[in-house]
Amino acid sequence: MASPDHITALSKVVLNNLEYQHDWTQVKTHEQPNLPRPLIYGLPPKRLYVHPDEQVDVIKAEKERGKPIQQEPEVEWVLPLHLSEKWSPAQFAALFDAIEAVPPGVAREEALHLDGTDARWRLWRGPKRGKRILLATVQDDSTVTYYWIHDGLVKPRQN
Amino acid sequence: MDATVPERRVRISRIAGRYLIFDIEDVVYIRRHHGICAVLTGTMPQNPTQNLFLGLPVELHSEEAKLLVDKGVGYIADELTDHLSRLSIMDGNLRKAYLQHIKQQRRNAQQAFEEEKAKIQAKHQAKRKAAAKPNPTVTTNPEEASAIAESGPSLFDPSMSPNPAKETRPKETLPPSITPTTSAHLLPIPSNPVSTAVDPSSSSYPLYKYLNSRGYYTTPGLRFGGDYSVYPGDPFRYHAHHMANSYGWDEEIPMLDLVMSGRLGTAVKKSFLFGAEKPGKEVGGAAKEEGGHGEVRVFCIEWAGM
Repeated sequence: MASPDHITALSKVVLNNLEYQHDWTQVKTHEQPNLPRPLIYGLPPKRLYVHPDEQVDVIKAEKERGKPIQQEPEVEWVLPLHLSEKWSPAQFAALFDAIEAVPPGVAREEALHLDGTDARWRLWRGPKRGKRILLATVQDDSTVTYYWIHDGLVKPRQN
Repeated sequence: MDATVPERRVRISRIAGRYLIFDIEDVVYIRRHHGICAVLTGTMPQNPTQNLFLGLPVELHSEEAKLLVDKGVGYIADELTDHLSRLSIMDGNLRKAYLQHIKQQRRNAQQAFEEEKAKIQAKHQAKRKAAAKPNPTVTTNPEEASAIAESGPSLFDPSMSPNPAKETRPKETLPPSITPTTSAHLLPIPSNPVSTAVDPSSSSYPLYKYLNSRGYYTTPGLRFGGDYSVYPGDPFRYHAHHMANSYGWDEEIPMLDLVMSGRLGTAVKKSFLFGAEKPGKEVGGAAKEEGGHGEVRVFCIEWAGM
């Protein structure tokens, strides 16, 4: 489809954009033999995505505790793309099949917190987390737009 | 969808390539038990340019018709050949029964008219009593007017004066003539109807089936810019959650389409859902042709807010 040079440049644009425009930290590229191109993962400055059902669980837990729960940001996957590209459902399916829901490095650490009875909402950060990738679409003027793509039927955050 | 679904075979009439349902019971049944709303298309005969508050018949998409046939709860009757063939084999008994049925309908209609008339009379009389100077007018309500018009001879009956309060019961008239709205009683439903096949025109059938099997209702998606609007339950109760498009498994989607649809979906508080059927392992080549048997993968796109 595209030359490796092109992909590297694309990744770099997205990586820089995440780091310097959106203040992401721990931004890294992730290579894997069954991936069509390297993915990026990193930690946004604030929570980027809360599943509507997770929100319900959090509100319930907050009510029980009587104090608000701090929403720590989660490490997210990012797929760098160029606007001129075309992807088929088959390619997206293969991509989702190749990745874990939680990017590498953080899974173990988060798992430690999975204790206590009021931790239902915590499951959303581990086993209950669905596969999602941030589509970072780059145009030649260096505009980058970010859209979530979820694997499967996921209800919208606002409705 | 649930265990207590009543046994029923929905008659889907294929007329000029469209799939229509004329029986209100069937319409209720497929909506309640099979998650199919379809689209009301009928206008009133008096108002053919009507485009709001439409009524029977209900028009099904070809994928909806196919789903009903595949589930075994509906069958497709090709009305043109069906009517001709069954009318030609009609015997005397059937004819008699049909005439009897028409007569009964006429009597029912007359009873309804009379009840309606009595109600109006009572109303006017009450008004007359209430007002010092009685000045009742002829009913101009189109519904009542048409009801009177349809009652045939009684319209010209001299006993029907412009002042309904004075009006006496019209002399014994013939029951009003009626135009049957369906031919259901003319052509009794065979005990084991054979369905003709649905045209395999819809490539979005696998996605449609996938959504329907998960309890989602769909309506045509034009108003939100997709193939379908997808509701998590009956559209009377819920807002749509997704706008959905169906693609081929290897169909290449321009990135701009995804961004555009994602943006559009977010703007109307929905997510953009797209899906495709993974072509199954070909078993004798039949599976591929039919569709709706392979695994369907769907993806949802929303704006990330950054």
